[in-house]
Amino acid sequence: MKTLIRTLVILAVFFTLSGAMVMAVNASGANAPDFDGEPRFRPDGGEEFRPPEGGEFRPERGDREERGAPRWMFGLIKNVGVIAVLVMVIAWPRSLAKKKKKQAV
Amino acid sequence: MSTEVIKTTSSQTKTKLWLDVALFIAFLVTMDPHSSGLAIHEWLSLSVIAVMTIHLLLSWDWIKEITRRFLGKLGGLNRTNYILNWLLFIDGTLIMVSGAMISEVALPYLGFVLPPGFAWRRLHDMSANIGLLLLGVHTALHWNWIVNTFGKYLFQPIARMFAIKANKDASV
Repeated sequence: MKTLIRTLVILAVFFTLSGAMVMAVNASGANAPDFDGEPRFRPDGGEEFRPPEGGEFRPERGDREERGAPRWMFGLIKNVGVIAVLVMVIAWPRSLAKKKKKQAV
Repeated sequence: MSTEVIKTTSSQTKTKLWLDVALFIAFLVTMDPHSSGLAIHEWLSLSVIAVMTIHLLLSWDWIKEITRRFLGKLGGLNRTNYILNWLLFIDGTLIMVSGAMISEVALPYLGFVLPPGFAWRRLHDMSANIGLLLLGVHTALHWNWIVNTFGKYLFQPIARMFAIKANKDASV
């Protein structure tokens, strides 16, 4: 029972935040197709660009996959690298300081 | 995670360790949808909500205690962790919401068809990149816990296993 109530609390916070985010984005008008002010792709120089049916237009996906290079490896190394650098920058000085403190005592 | 304030049981710590490892791997896989494919990206992300809920349930006592003491007397590390965890939760929610809004596989499969959202795609990319940084800081702040728990529940048992095997070989 306790776990169920806690789960409901977590989900309630999650859905409240989600609702607030959806409302904020809709209210800001940022979801309008011509919001960002950047020039849009117009195939014949006139018509407004429309995304293909069933989702947004993501041009980069297909052609990058076709190259066959181990992109997943690059993505993985990049992401792990970012985390590793942060760990080194934050955790290393902390452990050094702890060691110094211990030696001083 | 919570050694300064709350003592957790050994089985809870073990569960938390493997859950966190699973979350970490899931995060790395979902961070690269071009490689994993959109279906895996979306379904794995949705399942992360359940794992994340269990992760929070396991840290419930710590969350409750720090929330109660936040405005009072509290160590700097716990305060930083608490704020960072809230930022991670808010960012995670934004990743989920924006992901749901641009979903092409999972939500349409479940019968939810949402109108194309131009801002959500950008928000999804931005929140995912911020999430990577926040996860890095979160990992760094818990590095001692990670090293100690891995040592206790993975490396030490393996070392003990080899030591027993070596002793048996020596006695034969």
